[in-house]
Amino acid sequence: MNKEKVLEAVTEILADILDDESIVVTYSTIASDVENWDSLAHLQIITTIESKFNIRFSLGEINNFADVGELCDSIVKHLG
Amino acid sequence: MALSSTIFLFALLPISLIGCYLLKDKFSNIFIIAISLIFYSWANTKMIIILIAAILVNYLFALGIENFHKRSSISKSIMILSLIYNVGILWYFKYLIFTVSSINALTGATLTIPSITLPLGISFFTFRAISYVLDVYFENSKAQKNIINVGLYISFFPQLVMGPITKYVTFEKQLNERKVSFDNFAEGTRRFILGLSKKMILSNGIATMVDNVFALPDSERTILLAWMGIIGYLLQLYFDFSGYSDMAIGLSKMFGFNCPENFNYPYISKSIGEYWRRWHITLGAWFKDYVYTPVFRGIMHKKNFITKGSFTIQQSDILSLLVVWLCTGIWHGANWTFVVWGIYYFIFIVAERLIQDAKKKRAKKLRIPKREETKIAAVRAHAYTLLVIIIGQVIFRATSVSAAVKYVESMFGLYGNKFVDSLTVYYLKGNWVLILLGIIFCLPIAAKMNELRDRYMVLNRTSKVILPIVYITLFIIGVSYVLTDTYQSFIYFQF
Repeated sequence: MNKEKVLEAVTEILADILDDESIVVTYSTIASDVENWDSLAHLQIITTIESKFNIRFSLGEINNFADVGELCDSIVKHLG
Repeated sequence: MALSSTIFLFALLPISLIGCYLLKDKFSNIFIIAISLIFYSWANTKMIIILIAAILVNYLFALGIENFHKRSSISKSIMILSLIYNVGILWYFKYLIFTVSSINALTGATLTIPSITLPLGISFFTFRAISYVLDVYFENSKAQKNIINVGLYISFFPQLVMGPITKYVTFEKQLNERKVSFDNFAEGTRRFILGLSKKMILSNGIATMVDNVFALPDSERTILLAWMGIIGYLLQLYFDFSGYSDMAIGLSKMFGFNCPENFNYPYISKSIGEYWRRWHITLGAWFKDYVYTPVFRGIMHKKNFITKGSFTIQQSDILSLLVVWLCTGIWHGANWTFVVWGIYYFIFIVAERLIQDAKKKRAKKLRIPKREETKIAAVRAHAYTLLVIIIGQVIFRATSVSAAVKYVESMFGLYGNKFVDSLTVYYLKGNWVLILLGIIFCLPIAAKMNELRDRYMVLNRTSKVILPIVYITLFIIGVSYVLTDTYQSFIYFQF
């Protein structure tokens, strides 16, 4: 799966968990820019991504994604 | 040594600045470590061994973890060993007396209570040491080959005894990139003066009244005095701790380090969750990264022993929060009051999350559109938050849980307390200006003023003349208090 497709899937997950169907997400979006994206929501997002893509992030990765772009890169890397 | 002591302000600080500005990067770092060790050993020379041991041992642990990175079981064992060492040292110095006294009280045993001196700032530098080892274990950072860099991170004197607890991954980037410049020095100096003024003028100014009110017998404290005492304590604690943080951030800046913010106007919060995102921010971030997230992940991948299914996200969240809040409470001190205080905040945070979730689900089900918060709802939320914080800080300040309960009872007149008496009037006359100023400076007026200054050229020009005068005046007043005031200690020194 390429990065663009991953972003689409991540956007769907974010819309569902953050309860905002009109959410616009780009590679440079950061958690603090998005309403309700707190530490619990972050772990919910990570857990849902892991189960959807059948991958497992390390603890270091979870705490250090600088933006959605890095999150997508990591998913692509895990899938590859 | 305190950052507001005469010896620091007039001897160690100028020497360290001159040395740091004259020496090249590598030697400058060694010089800062030497100054940090002098700073730490000033009150008790023997305690320096614990700090040096923390640097050496954690340096080796991190190298070991990285060396056995490909054999994850060995790497994990070294990480666990490092936690046992760091937490063990902390437990021995901070909690052994409490553990033995609690065993004696609960079982009726007569174990000898050991005599142990608590090393200054041990909770803070131990958390920095743990951050270093865990960042290497989680592969956020590489292990340092150069022990000077580990020493600088763990012992950096502006942040050594009371934080902010900068995570290693944040500090690492600055080890070789920090810039010592006149702009940084000027900005750091302004921040330092601000912190010194908060501590010496506001916090120390209110401290005597607070101590006296809490020392009064519960039946003799009037209702108004009980409220004045605890509101005074909220202000004293905030200006004491945020003042120290400002001084630490300012000093770090003078040496070219950017230090994370520790406070963001906590008393304007409209929920307890928000309050804890604004109060002691670096401790919250530390617990989030190194306790909450690993515990949450651990629980999510375990079987629920009651339902035999997996734990839900909500169950994992609540159990992780329980662990975090028990640790946060105990971290603050070896007393049952802190355990109760931690559980107290855990209950409110969980209740807020459950209510918020239920509201969201209901809105989704009934398709209720999002509405702007009304002014009345905002005031109600703010009042609720302040009341919870006020009661929480009574527990935090009291010497025992029963003393806390009695204090709260006196706030509501349950001992037949009068509303006001001559002593109340005396304290009110002597402290109303400081309390009023304290309340005003708890609000984000500086941010508002900066906004106005950027918008209007006239204000911008005027501020260029007025602000230096304000800072110089504050510095003179702050220093005059340093030279004359006997109330020097910072509240968080005891943690």
